[in-house]
Amino acid sequence: MLIITRRPGEKIMVGDDIVVHVMEIVGNSVRVGIEAPRSVPVYREEIWNAVRDENRAAADTAPDALPKPDKQDA
Amino acid sequence: MPPVIVESSRFGTLEIEESAVIEFPTGLIGLGGTRWTLVGDITDGPFQWLHSLEDGDLALPVTNPWAFFAEYEVDLSDADTAKLGADEAAVLVTVRASTELAGFSANLRAPILIAEGRGHQMINEAKDAPVRAPLFEIAESAAA
Repeated sequence: MLIITRRPGEKIMVGDDIVVHVMEIVGNSVRVGIEAPRSVPVYREEIWNAVRDENRAAADTAPDALPKPDKQDA
Repeated sequence: MPPVIVESSRFGTLEIEESAVIEFPTGLIGLGGTRWTLVGDITDGPFQWLHSLEDGDLALPVTNPWAFFAEYEVDLSDADTAKLGADEAAVLVTVRASTELAGFSANLRAPILIAEGRGHQMINEAKDAPVRAPLFEIAESAAA
């Protein structure tokens, strides 16, 4: 991991086309702006983790695990 | 173009017409996979399978969210709206299965939007869009 110190207003380049802006620091929060190409989705890490877990759980489903229409009404 | 053949561990040999291929430029979140299709007939029930064309073991049950959540709303960021590149999209949500109906849930936070043969799993910024929304809450309380 690369660890660097930045001040508000400074930026970080990730490759040639991703720019991370350190915008402001308020209390214990850092406001960060990220410019990335459309082909690079940007997620909050905890949301990315939660969605990945749901995708994995869904992908574990056996073909006969889904309720049939008649069973739903029961 | 000849159909794409997938040896599915769940459904046997699938022949998928090129027109039924859905390209996911950035894959599903945390799973990847750029070529998928929908398997299953919605007249047989509320569920279909989003099936990978690249991995015969990889498929996720999906459903139309409005079949279960009449009030569901999708609110995309401006960047995601631009990425979608269409005014209208079909919306599906992934389903987590369970041995009990009460354990079934849908991921309302990360719907899959499909427009013009391309699919994107995007983060829904609407309030009240949980990652695990119970699908059969009413059935559960009726049984209790």
